[in-house]
Amino acid sequence: MKHVFVVIAIFLTALFLTSCSKHRAPAAELNLFAWSEYVPQEVIDGFQKETGIKVNYEAYDSNEAMITKLSQNPCGYDLVQPSEYAVENLIRRNMLSPIDMAQVPNIKNLEPAFRDLPYDPGQKYSVPYMSGTTGIVYNAATVKTPPTGFADVFVPKNKGRVVAVNDNREIVGWAFDVLKIPLNDVTPDNLAKARPLIQSWLPIVKVFDSDNPRAPLLSGDCDIGVVFGGDAAKLYEQDHKFKYVLPAEGTHQFIDNLCIPVGAAHKSAAHQFINYILRPEVSKIISDEFPYTNPNGEAKKLLSTSQLENPASYPKLEHSEVFHDIGPASQKITAMMTELRGG
Amino acid sequence: MRAARSANQLRSTRVALLVWTVLILIFLYLPIALIVIFSFNDSALNIIWRGFTTRWYAAVFHDAPLMLALRNSAMIATATTIGATFLGTLGAWLLHRYGFPARRALMALIFFPMIVPEIIMGVSLLLLFSATGIGLGFGTVICAHITFCFPFVMVAVAARLEGLDPSLEEAAIDLGATPIGAFLRVIVPYLMPSIIAGALMAFTLSIDEFVVTYFTASAASVTLPLKIYGLIKPGLTPAINALSTLLIVATIVLVGVGEFARRLSSGSTTIK
Amino acid sequence: MSEAIQASSDARRASMRAWLMLSPLLAWLLVFVIAPTAILVVYSFLTGGEFGEVRWRFTLDNYRAILHSIYLVIFLRSLFYAAITTVLCVLAGYPAAYFIGRSPARWRGMLLLLVMIPFLTSFLIRAYAWFIILRQNGVLNSILEASRIIPTIFPHRIELLYTPVAVVIALVYAYLPFMILPIYGSVEKLDESLLEAAADLGAGPIGTGWRVILPLTWPGVAAGVLLVFVPSVAMFAVTSIMSGGRVTLIGDAIEQQFGSGGNIPVGAALGVALLALFLLSALLVQRRRA
Repeated sequence: MKHVFVVIAIFLTALFLTSCSKHRAPAAELNLFAWSEYVPQEVIDGFQKETGIKVNYEAYDSNEAMITKLSQNPCGYDLVQPSEYAVENLIRRNMLSPIDMAQVPNIKNLEPAFRDLPYDPGQKYSVPYMSGTTGIVYNAATVKTPPTGFADVFVPKNKGRVVAVNDNREIVGWAFDVLKIPLNDVTPDNLAKARPLIQSWLPIVKVFDSDNPRAPLLSGDCDIGVVFGGDAAKLYEQDHKFKYVLPAEGTHQFIDNLCIPVGAAHKSAAHQFINYILRPEVSKIISDEFPYTNPNGEAKKLLSTSQLENPASYPKLEHSEVFHDIGPASQKITAMMTELRGG
Repeated sequence: MRAARSANQLRSTRVALLVWTVLILIFLYLPIALIVIFSFNDSALNIIWRGFTTRWYAAVFHDAPLMLALRNSAMIATATTIGATFLGTLGAWLLHRYGFPARRALMALIFFPMIVPEIIMGVSLLLLFSATGIGLGFGTVICAHITFCFPFVMVAVAARLEGLDPSLEEAAIDLGATPIGAFLRVIVPYLMPSIIAGALMAFTLSIDEFVVTYFTASAASVTLPLKIYGLIKPGLTPAINALSTLLIVATIVLVGVGEFARRLSSGSTTIK
Repeated sequence: MSEAIQASSDARRASMRAWLMLSPLLAWLLVFVIAPTAILVVYSFLTGGEFGEVRWRFTLDNYRAILHSIYLVIFLRSLFYAAITTVLCVLAGYPAAYFIGRSPARWRGMLLLLVMIPFLTSFLIRAYAWFIILRQNGVLNSILEASRIIPTIFPHRIELLYTPVAVVIALVYAYLPFMILPIYGSVEKLDESLLEAAADLGAGPIGTGWRVILPLTWPGVAAGVLLVFVPSVAMFAVTSIMSGGRVTLIGDAIEQQFGSGGNIPVGAALGVALLALFLLSALLVQRRRA
């Protein structure tokens, strides 16, 4: 009988030992919490091989999901990959730990345009990973009239042929673009104006997917999509029939970053990883696999002409906005979109 | 006359039912068949058949993240089985042997995780861990799995306990054993087939568990179902098909062993 | 459920030692069953703030939100899908269960095993297989085109993936064995002599079926309905994938709040509501049985 209690005691101790504690963090590990389809396995393997640090890669498909899960499990992640407005949000809520730039010397490889950006003054908490746009991709073989903007995509004749990213903030942003409302002016009035437009759009979409919107386009279930640039670029690489167009009504540029949460248990490993992916040859691998806009100037020198000429990877941006952290207003977006999409 | 007509009707009814059952079985096995077939497909996409190959089976063992997920699943399932078997056997025995007050309430609590929708279990456990600051990981997943697996063990063991002759225990004690000694040396061997059957059930359930694991796992403790879920949208490579085929075969083997154990345990009673 | 474990005929009153031995089990239940549920209920009355933030301010707003908005629609929709799934499972499963139950004894075990084995393999993988089947360029359309059914009977390729039909297919596929098993249990217990008597009295197979077999196997059907309906209300993940994210069921709605929705208290309230629904139906079933 005594044995039973000993077993239980050991078991409970083991359970509590797995809890949040910086002091006895298990040796060489890195808990990477990043967008799905964004960190190539080759990069992870290379890092593991070189440093002996085991990388655990968990994926999410929206900034909001990442922030929520990080709030629920603050010590569970060593690196997160927020977009610019999410960085603002996390900084404001004191959820990020400053990055010791001395441990990240390769940061010099970034182009000047990506140093000290407005969402992270002084570049203390974030290191840009990849940048991009959201735009329209279409299958030129089946779509005879090329779309020029959202107004061409969300028409009744496209019903059941459209794929869209599963991102509430994005979708509201597109409506705002059409209505010429500034993207960050998320007020109840503006949301009310956008609501009927979005409501008319939703039934036209066949698939909502941020993880892999390429699949329905490749399988023929959809001909048009409003997707992130990297997905469009990858489609273009596979088959030039997939063309990318920046919506005439307006678009936004996003910058995804690597940041270290306050509760990270393996901060040193996190710094090492950031420094690792800033190497030109490693950054090139990322571009090969996920052809977004690479902020790493040294890496861009290693890219091929066709890669640099990919209109979805390096589009000509005339005017584009940037998302900002809108605080509690984002809950209003969620509420409205839940209603519209649940109905 | 009437007898002949109803005999004909009976036969055609039976044939109709047979055809229907076969259709149902086809429906149930079609996806499995496809998974197996495409595991031998000489093409990276699961779309068209291009040729026969066994290279994906080799690829499975070279896919490090996949093997890691499999290893995690196996570790978790093993720990779960141990914990669930312990709790389930203990519980079944104690509830059979002693009359505890509030028996029905106890039963309701025990079977609660088994019958409550998994998402509620998953979400409430997540809240438990996040509210108490316990980091998600192997420990949390194992505890979650044990919680809904041990009722299954309990049912299996309890069924066998019903056939237990109470005088067995008395005899052992008369011969000088302590109650615990009697339990360990007489009761447990008797229960062993059902314990094994229950343990196998717990193992199988844990390996395939998705919903609760989704909420209680961490990046380090990714299990096979979670990994597969993450790969569904990018598209499963045939290596996953190969792994699934292997798992299906393994499951069938396990089930076969469990069946064998069950037949053994009810060997003295007539099998309906 | 209390009948599941009978106390032995000479069960002694629980001694101190017995209670001590039971304590690990009790402790486990307290920590991993009672506590989480209690926390869920408590959280459902708190307030959400930023994404993932929980503020310790008690309110009934979450429940008000559920009752007066889209969540009610989502609940009803989930019940609707569960109902369709259950009906289809009964229609599809009953004949098969009947056939197996009336088969010669040596075949029954094997047939049952055949039905159960798919259930024991990973549901996710099998659901993904449906992806392969139902896609535009998937197996179904390939077969239809190869057999020339497509240009002749159906003008275009069939679009089943990313539709509500795909969701129902996935649900039925997941829970059909749960319907077949209990019905089989009832069928197996059918008394041969009753059927003979009916035949002697002049009833054909259909008459016998309607008036004798169906009423007698009703308990099995009822058990199957319960085993299928309740879990299918709460399914998520697979249903979301199969519908392309267009059909939101209650499971998806709860999961969303713990993810991109970020309002944990609302998610908790939805969970409590689902739990209440579930407990209510369990109570109703217990009542009817007693």
